[in-house]
Amino acid sequence: MALTEVQVSSSAVVADETAPTRTRAWLRKLHIGVPAGLLLLIFFACFVLPLVAPIPKPTGGDILNSLQPAFTPGHILGTDDNGNDILARILVGGRTSLFVALTVNLLGLVIGGGLGALAAQAGGIVDSIIMRLFDVLIAIPSLALIVAVSLSLGPGVRNTILTLSFFSVPAFARISRAETLRLREQPFMVAARLSGTSTWRIVVRHLAPNIGPQLMTFAMLGLGIVMVIEGALSFLGLGIRPPAPSWGNMIFQGQLSLSGTPMLVVWPSIALFLTVVGFNQLGEAVRLRWSGR
Amino acid sequence: MSDVATTSPAPRVFSAVLGSPALRLIVKRLLTAIPILLGVSILMFVLLNLIPGSAALQLLGPEATPEQIARLEHDMGLDRPPVERYLEWLWNALQGDLGRSLVSRQPVTDVLPTRLAVTGELVALAFLISLTVAIPLALLAARRPNRFLDRVSMVVSTAGLSVANYVLALLLVLLFAVKLGWFPAIGYTPVSKGLGDNLYSLALPAFAMAFPLLCFYTRFLRGDLVDQMQGEDYVMTARAKGLGPWQVLLRHAFRNSSFGLITIVGLNISGLIGATVIIESIFSLPGIGQYLLQGILTRDYIVVQAIVIIFAIITVLANLMADVLYAVLDPRIRYGTN
Repeated sequence: MALTEVQVSSSAVVADETAPTRTRAWLRKLHIGVPAGLLLLIFFACFVLPLVAPIPKPTGGDILNSLQPAFTPGHILGTDDNGNDILARILVGGRTSLFVALTVNLLGLVIGGGLGALAAQAGGIVDSIIMRLFDVLIAIPSLALIVAVSLSLGPGVRNTILTLSFFSVPAFARISRAETLRLREQPFMVAARLSGTSTWRIVVRHLAPNIGPQLMTFAMLGLGIVMVIEGALSFLGLGIRPPAPSWGNMIFQGQLSLSGTPMLVVWPSIALFLTVVGFNQLGEAVRLRWSGR
Repeated sequence: MSDVATTSPAPRVFSAVLGSPALRLIVKRLLTAIPILLGVSILMFVLLNLIPGSAALQLLGPEATPEQIARLEHDMGLDRPPVERYLEWLWNALQGDLGRSLVSRQPVTDVLPTRLAVTGELVALAFLISLTVAIPLALLAARRPNRFLDRVSMVVSTAGLSVANYVLALLLVLLFAVKLGWFPAIGYTPVSKGLGDNLYSLALPAFAMAFPLLCFYTRFLRGDLVDQMQGEDYVMTARAKGLGPWQVLLRHAFRNSSFGLITIVGLNISGLIGATVIIESIFSLPGIGQYLLQGILTRDYIVVQAIVIIFAIITVLANLMADVLYAVLDPRIRYGTN
């Protein structure tokens, strides 16, 4: 039985290796390369471009200069109703949105991933307490939870990050726990347990390298999700408050005059869409590559 | 055999019912739901108490004197200790009394049914739209993988998954309400004024909610169908039997893939109800999501508690229903556990 399984799997590997021709290998690289390139471009535009290019300040614009159309000299995407340059606000708002998304996912990855692995590894009462706590957080509709947390913490970048972590930590914990449970009975894990390795050392040295890829893939997809939710929070008038720009609050402010000046909504929406597509596609490509092995 | 013959019918039925894995699953899950619901109500209560400003302050506005605020807070019972207020709320809620809104003074149980009906209709429409488009599209795409229709539907659905629902909602309003004037931008027409007008007023919000789901279901179902068609023995058997490609796809592969789809639909229910918070406030629909947002913004903890508990119950029930349906429908699981 075991022998046939080995034969089947080895023949499958051989078939898989002969199948990709040159163009396929090239296409596969493209699947990762295109979204990665797009994201690099967006990061460069948001974090580096405003430092080196002559881009106006995102706030404190001249009200007499408001609502200029796109391609006005000096304002490529025009100005908003306060006379601020839209491109500058998108780039600087992008910094905030990207920073929030990255930090929230990093927190989720480290805290949620750690707690999930710990819960599965420790089992018993520790597992029950940790996971029931996360069940409670997951049972509350996410938007209601983050609106309530956001109102009690107040506005600002740091508080927005804390608020959104309420959403990301339980999600990471669930995945990390499920992966850990799957690995628990693997020979190397049993060996580590039987030879008296401490729980902490097992989590760090044996589990983390094995569940890391899955969690990283989820983080990639999570970046897109968090960007959208951060937008929703700012859209409801919480999260990042004007005049400081974020894509969400730009969409919200533009929405107030949707029929008159629709481009105020369209530009930040395009930026949000491209970034989320980038993260989703990269996550998908990385997931396929890892699951293919 | 002899065991069956000697036991009287009544206990046999009894033990068969209790012993059925589906029922055990239901009972077990309902029991674990109790501490979760308690936790949800406690957490929301604590969070709402942490928010600066009380319902009295929100109601009277910034011009009110401290004495006026204190008087109203006393009338609302907000000057009592939080633990006492929570326990009172819990005691009443267990008896089916969810209390009176602090702001409008109406009993919450009077307001909820009409609000729930609006949201329920919106969510049902969103599921209806997404499934009626996604299933045929996925079948057509999976019939000829990597051909034109498959490629187009995959590109569109990949893009569709990356659109935030509020952005989609605004773009729909911009195109179909502002530019073309085909649909109303905001507002809700109740069913009492005619089903046609009612559906007409819900068309844009329902589509804004359905589109991401539609993309997700198309991708999921197409992927699952292609896997089934390529790798499963029963598909080869059906083909060898001489069934046409559509028959294999519909009667064999789709039947199998539909189990996974049902589970996913069940898991999406809670997310979709959460999405109504933002969609209903964009379109000014008098649903439960908008009521919840108002409740939080006015610190009306009675309203918020009631809605969040209802959301949590729906989430628990929907997940449970998905699991049970999955277990009942899929013969491999149905017989495997017995």
